[in-house]
Amino acid sequence: MEAIAKPDKSAIFKNKVKTWFSQPQNIILLLFGIVLTFSTVAPIVAIVKDTFAIHPGTIDQHLTGRTTGYTVVNYIDLFTSRLAVTNLWKPLLNTIILSVLTCFISILFGGLFAFLVTRTDMKFKKYLSSIFIFPYIMPQWTLAVVWQHMFYSNKVTGTSDGLLAAIFHIYFPHWWCQGVFPSAVVLGLHYAPFAYILIGGIFKNMDANLEEAATILDTPKWKIMFKVTLPMIKPAILSTILLVFGSAMGSYPVPHYLSLTTLSTKYISMNSKYTGEASILAIIMMVFGVLILGLNQMSLKSRKNYTTVTGKSGQLTKLTIGKIGKYLVGIIFIIITFFTSIWPIVLFALETFLPNPGDYSFLYTGNLAHLTTKWWVTNENITENGMYGQSGILYNKTIWHAFFGTLFLAVVCALIAGTIGTLIGYAVAKKRRNKWANYVNNVAFLPYLMPSIAVGAAFFILFSNEHINLFNTYTLLIIAGVVKYIPFASRSSLNSMLQISNELEEAAIIMNTPWIKRMTRIIIPIQKSSIISGYLLPFMTCLRELSLFLLLCTQGFILSTTLDYFDEMGLYAFSSAINLILIVTILVFNTLVNKLTGASLDSGIGGK
Amino acid sequence: MKKKVLSTILAFSMVVSALAGCGSAASGTTETTTDTQTSGETQTQTQEAAPAETQAEPAAELTGIDAIIAEAETMTMEELAAKAIEESNGKTFYGVGNSSRGKSALPVFIEYLQSIDPSYSMEFEWQQPKNNKIFEQLTSDSLKSEGTFAMTLIQDGNQIQTKMVDTDILKTFVPKEWAEANGTTPDAFSGFLPLQTLNKVFMYNNTGSATFTNCWDFVYEGSHPLFMGVDSEIVGKNFLMMLTEDKYATWLKEAYDKLDDTKKAYFEPVIKEMQADASDLGLGANGAYALAWIKLWVNNYNEQTDDGPICNTLVDASATDQSGLLVYSKLRSVEESATVSVNNINVAAYQDGYTGIGGYGYCHYLFLTKNSPLPWTACAFIAFMTCTEAGFEPWGKDMGGYSANPNVAKEIEEKFQHSNGGGDEFPAKNDRGYDWWTTTGELVLEDPAYCSDVSFTVGSWIDVLDHYAPGE
Repeated sequence: MEAIAKPDKSAIFKNKVKTWFSQPQNIILLLFGIVLTFSTVAPIVAIVKDTFAIHPGTIDQHLTGRTTGYTVVNYIDLFTSRLAVTNLWKPLLNTIILSVLTCFISILFGGLFAFLVTRTDMKFKKYLSSIFIFPYIMPQWTLAVVWQHMFYSNKVTGTSDGLLAAIFHIYFPHWWCQGVFPSAVVLGLHYAPFAYILIGGIFKNMDANLEEAATILDTPKWKIMFKVTLPMIKPAILSTILLVFGSAMGSYPVPHYLSLTTLSTKYISMNSKYTGEASILAIIMMVFGVLILGLNQMSLKSRKNYTTVTGKSGQLTKLTIGKIGKYLVGIIFIIITFFTSIWPIVLFALETFLPNPGDYSFLYTGNLAHLTTKWWVTNENITENGMYGQSGILYNKTIWHAFFGTLFLAVVCALIAGTIGTLIGYAVAKKRRNKWANYVNNVAFLPYLMPSIAVGAAFFILFSNEHINLFNTYTLLIIAGVVKYIPFASRSSLNSMLQISNELEEAAIIMNTPWIKRMTRIIIPIQKSSIISGYLLPFMTCLRELSLFLLLCTQGFILSTTLDYFDEMGLYAFSSAINLILIVTILVFNTLVNKLTGASLDSGIGGK
Repeated sequence: MKKKVLSTILAFSMVVSALAGCGSAASGTTETTTDTQTSGETQTQTQEAAPAETQAEPAAELTGIDAIIAEAETMTMEELAAKAIEESNGKTFYGVGNSSRGKSALPVFIEYLQSIDPSYSMEFEWQQPKNNKIFEQLTSDSLKSEGTFAMTLIQDGNQIQTKMVDTDILKTFVPKEWAEANGTTPDAFSGFLPLQTLNKVFMYNNTGSATFTNCWDFVYEGSHPLFMGVDSEIVGKNFLMMLTEDKYATWLKEAYDKLDDTKKAYFEPVIKEMQADASDLGLGANGAYALAWIKLWVNNYNEQTDDGPICNTLVDASATDQSGLLVYSKLRSVEESATVSVNNINVAAYQDGYTGIGGYGYCHYLFLTKNSPLPWTACAFIAFMTCTEAGFEPWGKDMGGYSANPNVAKEIEEKFQHSNGGGDEFPAKNDRGYDWWTTTGELVLEDPAYCSDVSFTVGSWIDVLDHYAPGE
């Protein structure tokens, strides 16, 4: 009896540890759990600390009479002073309205377009699908600048006349020109491709049997739409809200150019004299990010209700919108997308040949002699003729230095964020019911939900101190970009990895295939398209990101800050040229990736 | 085992690459840092040993940057140039400033050094931040043991005082020859070293019927002048704060007295309403006039992102009756076309019978950073810009910027004839010069000390005023 050996607890423990570490997904989750906790929490802690710090030359120094130390006076002043409405409540209300409206517009526009592309026999789908994503490619505020050039008038906005006022004497009301409406429309158009890609993906893969069953049962069409179709795309709508709300909330340039005071614009304007209070605004924006994540968690639970929609029936039927209708609707969307996607590019190109910024006198006079190539070919540093000391675009070292800097930044961010995100997606999918995996998944996604301007502010504070100072370095931009863009890759990767049955990898494990080989020979090739999207999205977003990088570098460092600088200065020829450079770059990369791998941003939705 | 090791290495390498190995500092920054390791260490010691107020003490008692400045203040331009050549040959010079023209001045400076030593070469980068970011940038840079920026050309005396000088981040260097030209010595001179005074002046589009014959017309009923927001360019707020100073409040009172009865009746209730606030804020006898003007201005100005777009708007024929307060020199960049012309605007103060303030003058100041990686070169560059016609030319070649060195100002006027820059064709571009603007033109001049004093009294009072939004 005594011969029965007692189990060696230490050996069991060692064995368990050994087994645990033999699974790559565990190591990935452990490492990235720790790293991402730090990269997400540390900036938040830094900015919270800043709300209590006393800043020389600002209101907290005035109110406390001290130049160093900590105080709660920033909180008291922000919430209770005479400026509370101006500095906090009004911008907060505007921010919420803007974010909600932006979600509504992007879902309505992107969702309708997704429906038409995937579920009807509308014509010109391939062209429309490609052109529809253009507003997302362009920096968001450039549409705002186009809006100014189109709709402003001396009569209403007190500026010079825009194109419509000058040529057709059409004067748009103020609510159309400035404030929450144009800001929401511009942001809604900018983020509509999100809704299109997410909702379109579901529409395309949706089992039409349910709708057909309802039709056979003589259910009215509106009822089918609200009781069958919409509930099925509800997860995609929620995902769009998740992605768009935080982005709209943290958008600085669009409300700035269209004269809407939001938390982001207030953050910038208060930063000089009310530095600590501005940091509180950043905290408030971050709280919204956390709240959205919480709501997403709740919705994820409810999404289980829709898991009955499984697999593809292969019976996707398309709604017939009539012989004329299919052309008519297509043409209507060609016209709409012309104004949202092509017209801005035409204006950008035109702007680089105007004698003065916004001076379309060649149109009024019909005299082409009023056009100029000075913005392109001036190769000396002159201040006359509106060059403001800048060389022409072709010779402008600032622009080209910023261009190559941006390319470097975008490529590195995409490679790192894409790789980390893919690994996280893989590991979370493998351990989908594990709490730690769930935590890693959430902590990786949280930075995306935090407004960019707040994340930028947090990283600025975190990395600008006496111990480490990374201001105006690519290192800082890459760290911020990677943390912010991992969610693109992790979500894309997670969704695709969940579709892969464990059996595939298990078969390889039985064959004693190493993990690297399993990844490179089985997992990655199967979900190549989604994984490449996880690299493409950070790349593209990084190329024209402003809000995140605004506080982290100077204007000549990357293209978006350079573009913003020229826009603010009113040198629209330079900013327009930069826009063109950005658009061409993104299109070239998108086409290259598409040709080489078959993946693209709108892949699989329209026309294929 | 292999699997475990391989997966661990892969995952670890991802983390490491994410954290450290992925980025590099701006090209040149690293170089500069390495090159100046030793001087940086010296500077750090200096910060502890030599506070700002010891600046004027004899060089023997100073170390690091303060000692260099003290020694440099005894040197001629040529001696400084020799030191700069010795220090910065083959290196990169980083400057930051509110004026883009620093970028134009640096090549001229390098050419000057090359005229002394043909083998001399120096790369440079000039940055011009927006949105008040220059203060954050300099503060952030000051935390490094060796800074990136050698010097700065900066505006906004108020913030310079409280954020840069009181905190010892910036150091003033006064070139010997500049001091002599102004009838003083570096030791005797107090305050910041100005490169130039710039003027923002009232202008209006003249294609309609509106006339502005008094500075109060810009705040009269229905007027919405274009102006950069006081939060995005703080010198605009300094202008408003300066109006409460006795001298300028009196100018406003005198202009008010010359208004007709209708306009007086319009402004009078506001002025009366301001009496109590003026008293609470401790302003002088005419303080209520200043506060009334400020209130109406803030309530009515149409905020724009920059003076560039304001200029673009005002010179357009469609901007009928619009007005604005903007940098005078912006007119230099207007290209004549069918609808755009400098002749579409009037400079208010140039018009016969105009009464009251004509605009606002503020300075571009020059400083070394406390951890300047190239202090001798920075001193030489500052001396070159303030003491030579060639050095000031990037600013001086256009109207609206007035050298703080009377000798240079004279040479610039002789060379460029700004007083007749537009001739008969474009009278708005005939710059009447610093002396005219500060007397007849009633230019309100920024006083950093005053702005700093009233920043949280008058300044906070301005903060609570309602801002105009078109359509409201």
